[in-house]
Amino acid sequence: MNQERFWRGLVYAALVFAALYYLIPLYVMLTTSVKDMEEIRTGNLLSFPQNIGFAAWGKAWSSACTGVSCDGLSGYFLNSVKMVIPAVLISTTLGAINGYVLSKWRFPGSNIVFAMILFGVFMPFQVLLLPMAQTLGWLGIASTTTGLVFVHVVCGLASTTLFFRNYYVGIPDELIKAARLDGAGFWRIFWRIIIPMSTPIIMVTLIWQFTNIWNDFLFGVVFSAGDSQPITVGLNNMANTSTNVKEYNVDMAAALIAALPTIAVYVFCGKYFVKGLSAGAVKG
Amino acid sequence: MGALAIKNVTKTFGDTQILKGINIDIESGEFLILVGPSGCGKSTLMNIIAGLESPTTGEVCIADRAVTNVAPKDRDIAMVFQSYALYPTMTVRQNIAFGLETRGIAKAEQNEIIARVAKMLQMDHLLERKPAALSGGQRQRVAMGRALARNPKLFLFDEPLSNLDAKLRVEMRVEIKQLHQRLKTTIVYVTHDQIEAMTLGDKIAVMKDGVIQQFGRPQDIYENPANLFVASFIGSPSMNFIPCHLIEHDGELGVSLQGMASPYFISLAGRPNLRARLGEKITLGIRPEQLDVAEAQSSALECKVKITEPTGPDTMVYTEVNGVEVIARVHPRLVPPTGQSIKLVLDMKKVVLFDPVTESRI
Ligand SMILES: Nc1ncnc2c1ncn2[C@@H]1O[C@H](COP(=O)(O)OP(=O)(O)OP(=O)(O)O)[C@@H](O)[C@H]1O
Ligand SMILES: [Mg+2]
Repeated sequence: MNQERFWRGLVYAALVFAALYYLIPLYVMLTTSVKDMEEIRTGNLLSFPQNIGFAAWGKAWSSACTGVSCDGLSGYFLNSVKMVIPAVLISTTLGAINGYVLSKWRFPGSNIVFAMILFGVFMPFQVLLLPMAQTLGWLGIASTTTGLVFVHVVCGLASTTLFFRNYYVGIPDELIKAARLDGAGFWRIFWRIIIPMSTPIIMVTLIWQFTNIWNDFLFGVVFSAGDSQPITVGLNNMANTSTNVKEYNVDMAAALIAALPTIAVYVFCGKYFVKGLSAGAVKG
Repeated sequence: MGALAIKNVTKTFGDTQILKGINIDIESGEFLILVGPSGCGKSTLMNIIAGLESPTTGEVCIADRAVTNVAPKDRDIAMVFQSYALYPTMTVRQNIAFGLETRGIAKAEQNEIIARVAKMLQMDHLLERKPAALSGGQRQRVAMGRALARNPKLFLFDEPLSNLDAKLRVEMRVEIKQLHQRLKTTIVYVTHDQIEAMTLGDKIAVMKDGVIQQFGRPQDIYENPANLFVASFIGSPSMNFIPCHLIEHDGELGVSLQGMASPYFISLAGRPNLRARLGEKITLGIRPEQLDVAEAQSSALECKVKITEPTGPDTMVYTEVNGVEVIARVHPRLVPPTGQSIKLVLDMKKVVLFDPVTESRI
C-alpha cells in the first residue's frame, strides 16, 4: 500500500516537473511582455512583474518596426487571416472529397493514386520551392495571398486526403450500397450520409491544417512579398530589425500575438482533436 | 411470370473466379433461398442481382426485363443488408424517408407510407430514435421497414438474421414468413443457416465455391441430395456417412455394417447402376431419424451407445459403425443406458449412396 503511494507520488512528481518545464517559457514570455524595459533591465527573468502594463502589446500590434515600415504586426496578422481561412477550408473540402472517392468509389488504379498521395505526406517541402515558384509564375499569382493559398492547399492535400480516407475506410461499404439502392448518387450520398458522420475527422483536419498553415514560415518567406506577407514573416522581420535597444517586452508580445490563434484553437477545439483521433483509430 | 432469371452469370475478381456459371429461374411470389458456406459467393451474387456489381459474363432478368445494364435504383428492388446499413445520423423516420425523398415522392405521401410501414412492423414508437438507440432486433425491423416502404418487385435479404440472438432469430424468421405470405412479393434470401433455408424457402439453391450444387424444393433437397456436400450441409444433425464396400451375399448386392457384434448385411438389391461397382468402396448416407430401434427379436445392427443427447422429443444416440461416428434419433423411452448396446434398423427406402471419390450421388 505504502509502496504504491510512493510510486504514484513519484509519477506525479515527474509529470509536474515536465509540465513546469514546458510552462516556464510561456510564463517568461507572458510576464516579460507586460513589464517595462526598466524592470526587465534591473529585474530577474523569473520575477513577477511589479506594475503590469500593456504598452508593449500595443506597440507590437501597431507601431513596432518591421524592416523599413513601422506599423506593427497588424497588417501581417490580417494577411495571415486572409490566407489561412480559404487555405484551410479548401484543403479540407478537397481532402474530404478525395478520401471519399479513394475509399468508397474505388476505380482501377485508385490504390496507386493513393500511394502517390501518401508519398506527398513524407516529402520535405524544401524540394518544392523551385518548381512551385515556377508554377506560381506561370499562373500569375506569384507573391500574392492567392498564391500562398494555392501553395498551402497543394501541400496540405496529402495529409487531409490521408485523414479522410482512413476515416472513411471505417465506414461500412453497405451503407453506400444501401444509399445507392435508395436512389442516391455520388454527391447526395456524400452530403447526406458521409458528411454528417464526419464531424470528428473534420475537426481534426481543420485544427491540423489551421495550425500548420498559420505557423508556416518557409512558404511565407519564399512565396510572398510586401503586402501579402504572413505573421510569421512579420515576426521574423521585427525581431531582425536592429534598433539601438533590444525591446524584449515588445518581441515577447509580438510572439504571443503570432501564437494566439493556434493557442485559441487548441483551447476551444482540443477536445475534438483527441476525440477525433481516437474515433478514427477505434472505429472498425 | 418469371420474377427473376439469372442466366450463366460468372464473376471474376482479379484472376479468381468467384461465380462459375450460375443459373436460377424463379416465379413471381416465390421465396428463394441462397444457402452455402461462408465465402461461396452468395453476397456477390446478391450484389449482381441488385446491380451493385456487374457480372463478368451472363445476364440478369427481373420481371422478364433484362436489367444487366440498368442502375440499381431503377431495378425496382429493395435490399436488407447483413449489417442493416441504417444511416447512423438519421432518425428511423429519416432513414425510411431518405429513399422516398430521392425518388421525388411528395411529403404527404411519404408520411403515409412511413405510417403504414411502422404499423405493419409495430415500430411507431421508434420513429424518432437514432439507430444507435435501438436494440439489434429493432434495427433489423427498421432495415426491413426501409425495404418495405419501397414496395418493390423483388426483395433481397442478405443474411438479415445473422446478427440476432437465437430466440430473436426464430421470432423474426416466423415474422418474415408471415410477411411474405401477406405481401406475396418475390424474395431472394441469403443465409448460411440450413434451418432458415428449410423453413423459409419455396426453393433452395445450395451453393459451394461459386457453383450451384442443387436447386429445388426444400423437401426434395432434403430427401434427394445431389451429392455429399448437399447431403451434409442440409439437415441437423447432419446425415451419417458410412464407408462401405459393395459386396455380393447370397446372390444379392449389398454392404456390410460392423457395429459391436457380428457384421450386419444390408441388401441394396433393386438399385440401378450398382453391379459395375461390385467390390468397390461406396459411401452410404442415412439421416439420424432414418435409423430406428429394432423390435426385440428381429435381426438388426447392434452397436454400442457411446453418448446420448436428449433434446426433449427425441434423443440423439451416438454410436460407431464401420469405424465412424453414427447418430441415431430415437424415441427417449427406447434409449438404453450409455455403454450398453442398441439394436438399430435402417429405413432402406431413404438410404442414399455416394461415390466416395467424386462425391456425387449414385
Ligand atoms: N471486391 C472483391 N474483390 C476481390 N475478392 C472479392 C471481392 N468481393 C468478394 N470477394 C471474394 O469473393 C468470395 C465470395 O465472397 P462473398 O462475399 O460473395 O461470400 P459469401 O458467400 O457472401 O460469404 P459470407 O457467408 O461470409 O457472407 C470471397 O472469397 C471474397 O474474398
Ligand atoms: Mg455474404
